[in-house]
Amino acid sequence: MGDFWEVLVRYLPDFASGFFVTCQLVAVSFLIAMGVGTLVAALRVQPLRGLKLVGGIYVEIFRNVPLLVLVIIFAAGLRRAGFDIPPFAAGTAALGLYTAAYVAESIRSGVFAVGQGQIEASLSLGFTYPQTLRRIVLPQALRTVIPPLGNLIIAMIKNSAVIGATLSLAQDLLKEARLINNKTNLTNESFFWAAVGYLLLTVTATIIVRRLETKLAIRR
Amino acid sequence: MAGVRRWRWLIAVASLVALLGVACGDDADTPGGEVEAEEFDEGTPMADIQAKGELTAGVKYDVPPFGFENPQSGEIEGFDVAIAQRIADKLGVELNAIEAISDNRIPFLTDGTADIIVSTMTITGDRDAEIDFSTPYYIAQGRILVSKDSDIAGMPDLEGKRVCTALGSTYEGIVTEEIPNVKARTPETYSECFELIQNGAVDAVVTDDVILTGMIIQDDSLQLVGEELTVEPYGVGLPEGSADNGMQEFVNSVVEEMLGDGTWEALFQEWVGQHTGETPEVPTMTLEEALELRPCVELC
Repeated sequence: MGDFWEVLVRYLPDFASGFFVTCQLVAVSFLIAMGVGTLVAALRVQPLRGLKLVGGIYVEIFRNVPLLVLVIIFAAGLRRAGFDIPPFAAGTAALGLYTAAYVAESIRSGVFAVGQGQIEASLSLGFTYPQTLRRIVLPQALRTVIPPLGNLIIAMIKNSAVIGATLSLAQDLLKEARLINNKTNLTNESFFWAAVGYLLLTVTATIIVRRLETKLAIRR
Repeated sequence: MAGVRRWRWLIAVASLVALLGVACGDDADTPGGEVEAEEFDEGTPMADIQAKGELTAGVKYDVPPFGFENPQSGEIEGFDVAIAQRIADKLGVELNAIEAISDNRIPFLTDGTADIIVSTMTITGDRDAEIDFSTPYYIAQGRILVSKDSDIAGMPDLEGKRVCTALGSTYEGIVTEEIPNVKARTPETYSECFELIQNGAVDAVVTDDVILTGMIIQDDSLQLVGEELTVEPYGVGLPEGSADNGMQEFVNSVVEEMLGDGTWEALFQEWVGQHTGETPEVPTMTLEEALELRPCVELC
């Protein structure tokens, strides 16, 4: 039992640094996922078939390629093709774009929940389609999809561990746990505290999502 | 037409026998000739391994020329594998060579997944606190690998640069703590470091010269620079307690025999010498001397 506390106390700076890096990874990936996800959802619901196809292809590719493969392609493949991508950017881009595909699908289902009637009414009042999406449809759709988005964000927090594990792209919480484990050979203790760190993040995310739900969501 | 049928049958059987004879042909001759299996007292790890019928050895799968997969035959081979094979021959059992990366070498011994580890593992005091080692079977040196058009010539030039080494290796501490402002990358395996230096994500890879030589073999736009950073005596990893139950004594006897009877030089020439052009120098360092080089720091 003593070992557990000893590992935490002795390596607190390392765990804290890793935790902080994981927060940064999650924050940047979140912004990418929400931004790109909303854009792709918009592409998928609007009437022009060409753009709809682009959105569809994006979702199919990024949903069906395993995250680990995606990270390696972004970190190593793109570099070999000549793009000098820094490791942090490669990792967050891969995680963000991967999650964006799921976010897009979630938002799309929210848009259908809003209903064709509102879109028709808005267009007949003189709004353009982009204006309709921006001012009428998406605000309502986003409120509907907060619970599933919450799940996606929790998944993304856990998936962020892949970034540190692949080609050492970032010294995140899991990576720090591995380094500490190598120094001490206290495997259970090192990874226990890493798990606690990830739990802190996911529980915080859950609380925030639940608060947003009660404040904003339309439950159907 | 019974006569023709019998001929065809004879030819078919003869071809099958010939094919089997070729397929079950003997492996590449180990230098040193035929090795006889020894007998061991019951209850010793050696007898247990003999009862099992196979020796499970953790080796590297991606570090030529010590442990790697031959691209043509698909077999795992190399200097380390040859050492493990000799130990298996002395036990009279098959060798089961599993992959042991730097990160899981010690866990494999402590949880029994592997009987021995022959995986470019440097003898250190910290590791000796968790497992036991054989007498050194190879002395490698730490060097720096850079691209041929790099202007890094030694350790001082690494300041502020992006440097790669494997997680769990002895260089992890050196790279992360002794180079000022270093941007260290520590992936799980050396093949990942190789990928990183090839795609330009890191400026240098720091590890044993033989591991780096394996990278140069695959990509000759890289070169070794700098003086010897460290002396790395490799030892066979054994489960804790081997010093008392006879396993360490047995493995030492096998290694010492190879060092003495010309086998070591032949293996060196076959796996290392032909690529580096270096002359073989039979290791004379003892286990005690190796442990003195790297006394226990974190785990004592």
